[in-house]
Amino acid sequence: MGAPGIVMTSAQHFLPLVIGLPLLAAVFCLLVSNSRWSARFSILFASIHTLVVMQVLSSLRDSGSVWRYELGGWGAPLGIDLVLDGFSVILLFATTIVVLCVTTYSAAYFKTPQQTSRFWPLWWLLVAGLNAAFLSGDAFNLYVALEIIGLSSVALVALAGNVSAITAALRYALVGLLGSLCYLMGVALLYRAYGTLDLALLSQTVQGTPITWAALALISVGLLLKTALLPLHFWLPPAHAGAPAPVSAALSALVVKASFYVLARFWLDVCSPAASADALNLLGFFGACAIFWGCFAACRAKRLKLLVAYSTVAQLGYLFLLFPLTAAYGPSAGSAALAAVAYLIVAHAFAKAAMFMAAGSIQLACGYDDIDRLRGVVSHQPISVFTFAIAGASLIGLPPTGGFIAKWLLLNSAIDSGQWWWIAVILCGGLFSAIYIFRVLILAFTARQGEQSSSGGPTHPIPQTMMACGFMLAIATVALGFNAEWLLSYMDINLIGFLAGTEPLP
Amino acid sequence: MFNKLEFEENAKKTTRTSRLIKGLSAVTIGLLGSMLVLSVISAEKAAPELAQTALDSISLSGVENPVTAVLLNFRSYDTLLEIAVLLIVAVAMMPESSRNTSLTAANSRVPTHPVLIGLIRCVIPLSVILSAYLLWTGAYAPGGAFQAGAVLAGAGVALLLVKRWQLNYLRLSARAFMALGLAVFVIVAATVIPATGRALNYPADYAGALILIIEVAATLSIAFVLILLVDQLLNMANKQVKPQDTQTEGLDKS
Repeated sequence: MGAPGIVMTSAQHFLPLVIGLPLLAAVFCLLVSNSRWSARFSILFASIHTLVVMQVLSSLRDSGSVWRYELGGWGAPLGIDLVLDGFSVILLFATTIVVLCVTTYSAAYFKTPQQTSRFWPLWWLLVAGLNAAFLSGDAFNLYVALEIIGLSSVALVALAGNVSAITAALRYALVGLLGSLCYLMGVALLYRAYGTLDLALLSQTVQGTPITWAALALISVGLLLKTALLPLHFWLPPAHAGAPAPVSAALSALVVKASFYVLARFWLDVCSPAASADALNLLGFFGACAIFWGCFAACRAKRLKLLVAYSTVAQLGYLFLLFPLTAAYGPSAGSAALAAVAYLIVAHAFAKAAMFMAAGSIQLACGYDDIDRLRGVVSHQPISVFTFAIAGASLIGLPPTGGFIAKWLLLNSAIDSGQWWWIAVILCGGLFSAIYIFRVLILAFTARQGEQSSSGGPTHPIPQTMMACGFMLAIATVALGFNAEWLLSYMDINLIGFLAGTEPLP
Repeated sequence: MFNKLEFEENAKKTTRTSRLIKGLSAVTIGLLGSMLVLSVISAEKAAPELAQTALDSISLSGVENPVTAVLLNFRSYDTLLEIAVLLIVAVAMMPESSRNTSLTAANSRVPTHPVLIGLIRCVIPLSVILSAYLLWTGAYAPGGAFQAGAVLAGAGVALLLVKRWQLNYLRLSARAFMALGLAVFVIVAATVIPATGRALNYPADYAGALILIIEVAATLSIAFVLILLVDQLLNMANKQVKPQDTQTEGLDKS
């Protein structure tokens, strides 16, 4: 079974471990209710998890081909296969690094036993869900993985414990449920028409018939709800801003990317015969709207975390430029666009997680995160503001950060495909992001006039590890900028049909 | 965790514009729905090859019931993740405060009706036996962990409704019950690797026994989580919800 040219190496046995390890960690943290030990074990688990994924990364490069692991030994279509290609390994890499940093940050952030006893099991279940989604090669299995991601995210948002966060969590739950059901219905239609759930087999048999259009439309609506593309983004800002800071970091950095990843797989690979150029352009159009609306709302946000959440809405818009850039402009432009977007996902994941961590540290230290009261905050929160600045530079797309390379690659692919209007969108989006980032930075660097003791000084000392974690991720965005080739070379190992047989990227 | 919400009933008057929007939405949804129906009717159903493959492989699966074979052998990975979903719900709904009681606590002060007690004495053992039967029969006829767990949970909920017994969901034993299904599933998935070289690939001779072990653990977890959910919902409904402070935005008050 499976696609040709697939070699089984011993390192492939790490694939089930990537999912099993977080599941075991969840069980472990549930049983060990002591908050200090849960935190220590979690950091240990996160380190092992990182080592395992790094091993997978290096072995995949050595093997140079797509991996398939037949769970239960049945093989598709009877059983379920784990599939790893360049796109999914890049997302797995982003997940691992963010998980390592967020785990360490959370160990210092959550203190009360009421929170830790819930947070650690839910956190590891979320990680298991993310890894399962990135490794899945089966349409129904993706539904279950998305369900794990959605439900654990909802519970994690509700951990903040105040009414606004719980309201946001419930809304998130309902939206997520609606999205899941739409997706499931689409998958049911595909199964009815083509008799298999395996993505690789589906992509070989799917045709551009009305039933495929209907299935793709349902799948897209479901996943767009979960990814929060512009008209369907209403649930994201309150949920991402109201959640505890480490949860916000994971939600914005990883969770929305999981549903985007599935969406990209369906449009570019599984259901590509049904994807018309108009529909792909429409997705890009909504993406462009999201960029502008997200930046506009971020400029008007009153609270720092809300600003960062709206910035996520805007940055998600860039990801959707993938679709028009691949539409009917030849495989080489398409592969460049996919590489650019995969790289952008990693760059945004690092930068946004760092930014939420910095915002969380500032909020915890000051006791508030109203932007107007952040005047002069750099004097007592220098590291957090520095983290925010580097992450902001990456979001704007300034060199030498990962965000710069990502935008550069996107611009290149827009030029190659001759669609100048997306160039304008990308450049304007960068300028608008600069406005809201500098709005915060200018305030933070402005000295307080006189002694306004009413606006409050550093009241709560915060653990050094929290600041260090955010800072490490900010450094990682810069390191990513210098190691672009290393990451992009993984895109040569690709499953997606139209990329097969293209020459390596420049 | 979710019991802090108050729902306000703000019945808005239907204005003309909202009626217009409703009408437009109805038309749009109707159009989209009929297009969906048309596309389903127009498409041919795929040949049931996969079902045939499943039936052909059933002798290798260790059970005779095709549903159980799909759920616990061919697509066991899906079921494993579904049990993880159940654990998420359980963790999200765990009560907040810890009473310092053991796993089960009897409250003898609650007055009990003799008829009720008589009924319970009849129904509970019967439900437990029925649950065990459903679990066992899943190997060759409709049944299995989910059905058995639901029936067992029914027995537990009936016991809770008498209000004489209480469960403390934060004890280690309670948390162990919640996690048992997932833990056993993951451990079985891993322990077969040395024998067959693949996770979740049961050796043919032991497949039936391994599936039974997983199902017993899953039944207990499913029943326990369902009882937890019902109990928490009943508590929520009974508790007078008090207004909470809305100003502690995002900050974690200990």
